[in-house]
Amino acid sequence: MTQISTFFGLQQSLRGLLAHQRAIDVTGHNITNANTEGYSRQEAVMAAATPYDIEAGLLVDGGGAMLGGGVDIQAFRRIRDGFLDLQYRAQSLRLGEYSGTASAMSQIEEGLSEPGENGIAAQLDKFWSSWSAVANAPENLATRQNLVEQAKVLAGAITDLDARITTIKAQVSAEYSSITGPTGDIKSMADEIAKLNAAIKFAVADGDQPNDLLDRRDVLLDQLSSYAQVSVTDLGNGAISVNFGDAATPLVNDGTVTWPQTLTAPGGKLGALLQLTAPLVPVPPSTTPGTLESYRADLNAFAKKVADDVNALHNPGGTGTNFFTYGAAGTEAASLAVNVTATGVRYATGAATGANDIAIAIAKLRGSGADQSYQSLVARIGADVRNTLRLEDNAKVLTGAIDDRRQSTSGVSMDEEMSNLVRFQRGYQASARAMSTIDEMLDVLINRAGRVGL
Amino acid sequence: MTMRLSNQMLSRNTLADLTRVNNELYRTQRKMSSGKEITKPSDDPFGTTRAVTGRRDVEEINQLQRNVDDALSWQGVTEVALSRLTDVVQRARELLVQGASDSNGVAERQSIAKEIDQLIETAKTEANGQYAGRYIFAGTATTTRPYSPGGADAYAGDGGNIVRTIGPGVSIPVNVRGADFLGGDPAVAQPDGLLLTTLRDIATHLRGGTAADNNALRTTDIQAIDRNLDNLTSIRATVGATTNRLETARLRLRELEEASNESLSRIEDADMAKTLTDFSLQQAVYQSALKTGANIVQNSLLDFLR
Repeated sequence: MTQISTFFGLQQSLRGLLAHQRAIDVTGHNITNANTEGYSRQEAVMAAATPYDIEAGLLVDGGGAMLGGGVDIQAFRRIRDGFLDLQYRAQSLRLGEYSGTASAMSQIEEGLSEPGENGIAAQLDKFWSSWSAVANAPENLATRQNLVEQAKVLAGAITDLDARITTIKAQVSAEYSSITGPTGDIKSMADEIAKLNAAIKFAVADGDQPNDLLDRRDVLLDQLSSYAQVSVTDLGNGAISVNFGDAATPLVNDGTVTWPQTLTAPGGKLGALLQLTAPLVPVPPSTTPGTLESYRADLNAFAKKVADDVNALHNPGGTGTNFFTYGAAGTEAASLAVNVTATGVRYATGAATGANDIAIAIAKLRGSGADQSYQSLVARIGADVRNTLRLEDNAKVLTGAIDDRRQSTSGVSMDEEMSNLVRFQRGYQASARAMSTIDEMLDVLINRAGRVGL
Repeated sequence: MTMRLSNQMLSRNTLADLTRVNNELYRTQRKMSSGKEITKPSDDPFGTTRAVTGRRDVEEINQLQRNVDDALSWQGVTEVALSRLTDVVQRARELLVQGASDSNGVAERQSIAKEIDQLIETAKTEANGQYAGRYIFAGTATTTRPYSPGGADAYAGDGGNIVRTIGPGVSIPVNVRGADFLGGDPAVAQPDGLLLTTLRDIATHLRGGTAADNNALRTTDIQAIDRNLDNLTSIRATVGATTNRLETARLRLRELEEASNESLSRIEDADMAKTLTDFSLQQAVYQSALKTGANIVQNSLLDFLR
């Protein structure tokens, strides 16, 4: 009969002690990282150790057997679902786009101050009323003075709104430049991914599983995905290649970072910023005019309409003085100005001091094309903002839901870790007990056997 | 499948829910403090356009009311001047009847003619009546005195109409031209048979003293002055009709103003009862969310292991 070492059981219990100690270490790691962003919980995978193969003579019938050798830690597993990461990044892209758009558009909306007493609509109402007041007392210079002042306020309000949109556009451009610049977020994240690629590759070559480095790299990819469309290719050696937006060259390829690059329609927050500041005439491949410029175009059309409508009545033949003047196409709102003084206001066709046909005709413009063109601009901005906010809310909910599912897989649950802690502690205690039992057995064998009669 | 819950998930969701409820609470609070349902276009883009239109309507109605008030004052001043003119003409007619009687001698007729001269001056002064610094009977030449007292009888105003807009697309003339009742319009062949020429004729006939003059006083002159009285009455009737029309317009505008204000308020203003109910409801939700959130986030198996 084949003999098995007397101390076999000691070795077995030792493996149990060591394995449970490692498991408790992993639990501790999980607990300490419960609130670390992007951390995936880990698990010490235990498996029975390679059995002790006795080919023959162990059993009574002379047959062999495999004798259990205890437990081994096979791996420290990182619990993560790559498919959820893809879904999360797709939603994060949308969220980045809508929240980027929403913050700029809300600022424009605030600039309108509609509906209210300080908006352009109210100034326009007062402007038409001033013409009525002139019609009621055309002889009175004060009413005309008042009209000219009101016209200046109206022109100023239109110019201000245009300037506000231009300022917001400049701010959005500056934000884009600072994000994509040589010291911006994209560059620093790409650099870190490249460094992590090198470290991960090194660990993988050594046969290690660099869980925490992988987590850190995934967090960076999540963050990148809110800026633009990110697609990741596994290079097979642990390193990855990252395509960013519609940049021609991969942003990160193994250890190489290629940045800055030109983006046209990258999606995400950068896509939103580009769309906001795009020119009025779409540059192919884009087919949509820039949002802010198209608002300005509407505002220009409105300013031109007000000026043209009033001028057509104020200066019918085009030979006299225009009431409003404005500059070249595309700058109508910015350059809208009142061209007459109180004495120059033309309120009647004839020279009679009490005639008021022109003033009445201009006052009748209230509610006509100019009013409607402004109204539709307000409605358009309002609807755009509302729509963007709704989409942002949706994307927020979806991102949250996917993050929940991801957390449900990868997140640390204290209850679970606590029960694991108890489990592993008991496992450790029991292994220790097994060891001391064997020890007692050996004590009998070594110290007491063969001492009969001593 | 039962979802595995992690600690980060619990606290993140609790925080997200609290933020959402708190945001709603803030929005309701803003509605209450501003009293407005719509504080920015994105609250309700369609409602915003309606609010902008509503405000424009209210402003237009207010302006129309100012126009109507101005026109009414104009009519008032016109009516007073015309009524005094009627008195003048009636007095002239009395004098004419008196002067036409053969019992009066040359001296009496001379003094009656003098009084007629005075009446002509009075008529001119009335026709030079002003409203807010403007000559009301001078057509659109409102800064030109239409008649010169003590001077020639020519009308210095023009034939223009002073127009006031009293409703959307509704304009009416509010003025009466002196040339229409006093006469003397240089554009019309003289004598035009209107008040000034008639009174001048009467004065001339009174002073003339011939049989033909006396006959004229009894026949053509009395007919002419009656025609002028009719003319004045008909002009006053027109002024009265215009005044009535303006009064009606004023009442209608007042009703319109109320209706427009009400509809604007329906679009723009917050329903206080509903907002208050919403507020207490949301507050209750917020408080319970806070309470349960605090309990869920705090507790774990850790509290029970020893």
